[in-house]
Amino acid sequence: MSYDMIAILMFSSMMLMLLTGQRVFGAIGFVAVIAAFLLWGDRGGYDIGFSAAMKLMKWYPLLTLPMFIFMGYVLSESKIADDLYRMFHVWMGGLSGGLAIGTIGLMVLISAMNGLSVAGMAIGATIALPELLKRGYDKRMVTGVIQAGSSLGILVPPSVVLVLYAMIARQPVGQLWLAGVIPGLMMAGMFVLYIAIRCRINPALGPVLPKEERDLPMGEKLALLRAGALPLIIFAAMMVPFINGWTSLVESSAIGALAAFLAAILKRRMTWTVFETSVRKTLGITCMFMWIILAALAFGAVFDGLGAVKAIENVFTEKLGLSPWMILILMQLSFILMGTFLDDTAMLVIVAPLYVPLVGALGFDLIWYGVLYTITTQIAYMTPPFGYNLFLMRAMAPPEIRLRDIYRSIVPFVLVMALALALVMVFPQIALWLPESVYNK
Amino acid sequence: MRITRRYIRTVDGLNRVIGRIVMFGIFVMMGILLWSSVSKTFFLPSLWTLEMAQFAMVTYYMLGGPYSIQMGSNVRMDLLYGEWSDRRKAQVDALTVFFLIVYLGFLLWGGIGSTIYSFQYGGERSPTAWRPYLWPIKVIMCLGISLMLLQAISELLKDILRLKGEDIPHEVDA
Amino acid sequence: APALAQSTIRWRMQTYAGPALAEHVIDPAIEMFNQIAGDRMQIELFYADQLVPTGELFQALQRGTIDAVQSDDDSMASPTEVTVFGGYFPFGSRYSLDVPVLFNQYGLDEIWKEEYAKVGVQHISAGAWDPCHFATKDPIRSLADLQGKRVFTFPTAGRFLSQFGVVPVTLPWEDIEVAVQTGELDGIAWSGITEDYTVGWADVTNYFLTNNISGAWIGHFFANQERWNEVPEDLKTLFKVCCEQSHYYRQWWYWGGEAALRVNGPKMELTSIPDAEWDTVERAAQAFWDEIAAESETKAKVVEIFKQYNADMQKAGRPYRYTNA
Ligand code: NA
Ligand code: NA
Repeated sequence: MSYDMIAILMFSSMMLMLLTGQRVFGAIGFVAVIAAFLLWGDRGGYDIGFSAAMKLMKWYPLLTLPMFIFMGYVLSESKIADDLYRMFHVWMGGLSGGLAIGTIGLMVLISAMNGLSVAGMAIGATIALPELLKRGYDKRMVTGVIQAGSSLGILVPPSVVLVLYAMIARQPVGQLWLAGVIPGLMMAGMFVLYIAIRCRINPALGPVLPKEERDLPMGEKLALLRAGALPLIIFAAMMVPFINGWTSLVESSAIGALAAFLAAILKRRMTWTVFETSVRKTLGITCMFMWIILAALAFGAVFDGLGAVKAIENVFTEKLGLSPWMILILMQLSFILMGTFLDDTAMLVIVAPLYVPLVGALGFDLIWYGVLYTITTQIAYMTPPFGYNLFLMRAMAPPEIRLRDIYRSIVPFVLVMALALALVMVFPQIALWLPESVYNK
Repeated sequence: MRITRRYIRTVDGLNRVIGRIVMFGIFVMMGILLWSSVSKTFFLPSLWTLEMAQFAMVTYYMLGGPYSIQMGSNVRMDLLYGEWSDRRKAQVDALTVFFLIVYLGFLLWGGIGSTIYSFQYGGERSPTAWRPYLWPIKVIMCLGISLMLLQAISELLKDILRLKGEDIPHEVDA
Repeated sequence: APALAQSTIRWRMQTYAGPALAEHVIDPAIEMFNQIAGDRMQIELFYADQLVPTGELFQALQRGTIDAVQSDDDSMASPTEVTVFGGYFPFGSRYSLDVPVLFNQYGLDEIWKEEYAKVGVQHISAGAWDPCHFATKDPIRSLADLQGKRVFTFPTAGRFLSQFGVVPVTLPWEDIEVAVQTGELDGIAWSGITEDYTVGWADVTNYFLTNNISGAWIGHFFANQERWNEVPEDLKTLFKVCCEQSHYYRQWWYWGGEAALRVNGPKMELTSIPDAEWDTVERAAQAFWDEIAAESETKAKVVEIFKQYNADMQKAGRPYRYTNA
């Protein structure tokens, strides 16, 4: 059998095994070790799985993973975002759709304090969702806002997805993070614009808050703004030493985790339950990530051994004779398609090692592609049938919100994200301007 | 039947205790990395911090893995799975858990080989300036993988009991 | 993949180098081998950490997961008595031609073959690479500037350099460029300037120190013993010839590249530590050699050869050596 055939067989049997609903890492790892054994078993092919574990140990940027996950859980479990929400509530409540717009603002600030989307989802679903529903906001608008807003967690630095991408593409994390800032803010702005326009056309979607609820004395209103300082302090504590080169990436992530932890203690929110839950869930999610990456590394080593990357490159460039841009667009489309039914972590570690070298070989900037890649991952994260946001939403939303509502609610936001993706593709400077001006001093 | 239940109780109990100790490893990693930035700023950078943090991370996810299975943290693709009844899930899981068992078996096979190597030739050392011996971390990895295997078998037994109509509580949500 | 006859011998070989460097240090030799051997034997080449991580490379070679390896002894942590001399043995050689002379005329080749036979690995051929220089973000103009610098280097070189306050860091080779950018490293002491430019390190560092701690890296080709024994004699010869070709390519590629990039390279500023001050380091190397020699009989034998060789070169005078020290 030719190597191309084996590669295709491996990929399709992995997809098949994933469909059985067994734990993702088990399905991927199984295909990897069996393939390695069948291919090279006569000469020690049994050790590829464990080799991957030794390789993983040396991937030092992954140390940021538990730190950012812990940060996210401390923020969401301790509810120190309550004050932030109140701030937006009072200041934005006077606008039609203002609470939804405020929720996007909240999500941007939370994104700046953690590396995943899960924390934003949890905070949005527990704090913002009930309030918005109580104020008569349209349920589809509400769930869409929270899911879309939380997806910013992986685009606005710090971002775990960009750390993983950096490992695979061998690009500097600092530049990638900075490249995510403006596209992230731009996308948040586009969400706001969409909400404002929709609510202007149909004010019933986002009623104005009653005057007495937001009519505080000016002094108190200003005092609320102080809540906004917290995320800025945590963000700065982590990013300033890192961008200046005083601390390394992994050290900065520990500083960020410590800052979030101290903030929760100082605000007297760090009860035993909050502490225990954050610590336990951090272990759970970190293990989930690490075991998937471990299995995917073994899969990747076998795939690499078969020369699968070269085979894919050949198909695209020689057999199909496509131009680099055509290939890029085709890749993004297939990525979104796979993302609809693949978990985003699995997709990252399986698909990225195949696509990233190809993108580099085609002559595209890999920092810029990192941003495209992340936005695509965001879209994949949002779209059914597979996505944490959907599970979480289903688990956290009140019964009057049905699955159909959750699915339907994301449609306009995914379209906005696709538009943002197109903008960054056409105007690379949206992503590249900031890292270029900071690092090319 | 009684042996089955005792196995499940013992393995789940053991892995739960280990997991609940290891979960505080987050602070070990945080401490090492913070010390790394402090020592770099005020004294000479430490030789051992990055590697030690890596060892801590490996211990964390390897020994914590079985508890994460108990908590149900390991995602599944639920395109079809999500729609199935509990009975159907148990039926399919009882079969597909062998993917997991085979994968873990291969991991252990490679791990034991690598661990034996780490004891040979006067002890394998990491090729860094700190030069720590590698057998302790490899032993921990083998232990973690073995515990994962025991947990996977426990999951299988639980599914079998469920199929026999017993009421076994599901993975607690994490 | 090309259709191959059933009887084709297939080898998997992994190099320590990433793709950019491999384009010069190994790709041409393997392509040549495959072209000539044709249907009889094909070698598939993998780059740094691709199939197995560098730390597991030696075991994988012993076990046969990988059939052949291109690496130095030191970074692949081979469990032999000669490991410390691979890579950069501090001040062991001054020019890249020293290495083949040491192996072919001063007896190192026999010692290496013997040591690797003990651990079930065929040592095929030793060759020279580039000299070892510092490439750093901040300039090094005196020994004091070395204090606290976190530098990616070889284990043995790191052990030697730590007495000058250097903090040696070992990371996967492919991650170095990013590690400099993420602040995990302040610099690199791994290669000459040719490699700094070729693999992209010149893009992330600003200064190149012209003083070197060794004139040439020692690296080798190895094969799994059983696999080597299975190969017919003429193909063994062909493989050795291709190794020699690879050594020859590197001789002129590095030698010319070092000079050209020092003179014309736009990305790195050159700095130097004055000779009188650098002499401290050279003298420290003598003590380090004695320290190594005391570790075992084999090591003492190798150190003796290095001493003899350098003494001979000194006596021979110009162009072999230009100083009297
Ligand atoms: Na973020
Ligand atoms: Na999805």
